[in-house]
Amino acid sequence: MSQLFGIGDIVRVIDAHPPGHRRTPYYCRGKIGKIERVCGEHRNPEELAYGFDGKPLRRLYRVRFNQSDIWGHYDGPSEDTIDVDIYEHWLRSAE
Amino acid sequence: MMNETEKHEHDHGHSHGDLDADAHALEHIHDHDRQFQPDLEDTPPTRYELMVYAIRELLIEKGHVTQEEITKARNTLESWQPSRGAEIVARAWTDPDFKTRLLADGNEAMADFGVDAGGAKLTVLENTDEVQNVVVCTLCSCYPRAVLGLPPDWYRSKAYRARVVVEPRKVLKEFGTDIPDEVTVRVHDSLADLRYLVIPKRPAGTEDWTQEQLAAIVTRDSMVGVTNPKAL
Amino acid sequence: MGPKFTSASEPGRGYHDIGGLDYGEVDPTTTEVAPWEKLSIAISNSMGGQGRKVINTDMGRRAREGMGEEMYNELAYFERTTESMKITLVEQGLFTEEELEERMQDIAKRISEVRGL
Repeated sequence: MSQLFGIGDIVRVIDAHPPGHRRTPYYCRGKIGKIERVCGEHRNPEELAYGFDGKPLRRLYRVRFNQSDIWGHYDGPSEDTIDVDIYEHWLRSAE
Repeated sequence: MMNETEKHEHDHGHSHGDLDADAHALEHIHDHDRQFQPDLEDTPPTRYELMVYAIRELLIEKGHVTQEEITKARNTLESWQPSRGAEIVARAWTDPDFKTRLLADGNEAMADFGVDAGGAKLTVLENTDEVQNVVVCTLCSCYPRAVLGLPPDWYRSKAYRARVVVEPRKVLKEFGTDIPDEVTVRVHDSLADLRYLVIPKRPAGTEDWTQEQLAAIVTRDSMVGVTNPKAL
Repeated sequence: MGPKFTSASEPGRGYHDIGGLDYGEVDPTTTEVAPWEKLSIAISNSMGGQGRKVINTDMGRRAREGMGEEMYNELAYFERTTESMKITLVEQGLFTEEELEERMQDIAKRISEVRGL
C-alpha cells in the first residue's frame, strides 16, 4: 500500500472518483507525471475531515505534469507545467 | 462596508459584554457621524454577520473557547500582512545566503522575521529569466496567510481557481502580465499543507536600492506570481 | 459554463473541484475584509488551535463540499466559510441549529435597540 517514490519517478494518478472529501483534483486523475519533490509525511486529510486522527501518516509528493498532458488543447509552450500536491495513496508507478 | 477612514480601531484587549467589539465600534461610528453617515448604520446586519456573533457567544457561554483566545487569534490574523512577505522577498534579493535558506526551508528562514505559520509548510518558489511561477488552490483558496494576509477576492474567485490551471498565460495577461514563450510558466496547485510564496524577479535598475525601497515595490500580487514588480 | 478541453460529461467531479472549467475573466477588484469576516476567521482559528482540535481545516472543507451546489454558488466567500464552520460545530454537537437561530434573532434585536431603530 505504501508508495515510496523518489524524485524523477514517473507516476500515474489513479483514475477513480470516490465520493467524500478528496484533495486530488479531477483534472489530474488518470494522468501521468513525474515526482518533483518528496514533501514529508502528514496526517491524511481524507480522514481528518471525518474526525479521525488521520494516522498512519501519508507521504506527500509534488507531482509535475506537462500542461499538454493534462489538457486536450493546452495553448502554450510544451515546456509549461503544473505541479500538484498529491498523497501517496493516489499514485501508482508508471515506469 | 466601512472604509479605512471610518474604521474605529478598538483595542481588542477588553470585552464588551453582549456585543462584539466590532459591533460596538459600529455603534460608536453611528453616534459620532450620524449626521454625515445617514444610511450607513441603518441597514441591519446580514444573516452571516449575525451568525458569527451568535457562534461566538454560544461557544464562549458553553465553555468551548474564551474571549481572550478569540482576541488572540484576531490579533494574530491582524499581524498577517503582505508587508511581511515583501520584507522577506527584499531580503532574499539582497542576501544570497538567506535566499538559499529560504528555498531550502521556508519556515526556518522566515522565523528570522518572527513568522509563525502554524502547521503550514512555507514553500518558496523563485521566478527567474527562465521560469514564471504562479500559485492557486483550485479546490478552495489555500494561501500563505502568515506572510501575505488574507487572500484577495480574485484569488478566491471561481474564475481564477478554474482558469489559471488551464490557461495561465491568458489569465496573467488579464493582470497585465505578458510572459514570452521562452519563459516557462509553472502553475502550483496548493492542496495540502504546503503554502507557496513566490520570490518575483528583481527588476533591473534597482541595484543600489535599500531593502526598504525594494520591499515597497514587491506587491502582494507579485508574490502569488500574477504580476512582476517594476522599478518605479 | 462547462468543462474546458475535456469530455462533456464528468461524473465524479465535486462542484468545488473546478480546475479547468470555463469561467469568465478574473475581476481584479479587491474589497476590504469586514470586521465580522475577520472575526469569523479568528473564531475558526481559535477553535482549531492546539489542544482543542474541535474543528480542523478538512472538516470545514468537507462541510463546504457538502452544503449543496446551490448554497456553494450563492454564498459569498466569508459567508461560505462561516456556514461551513457552523455546519461543523453543529455536527460536533457544540450547539444546535435552533439555539443558533434563536441567538441570532436575539442579537439582531439587541443591535437594533442600541441603534434606536
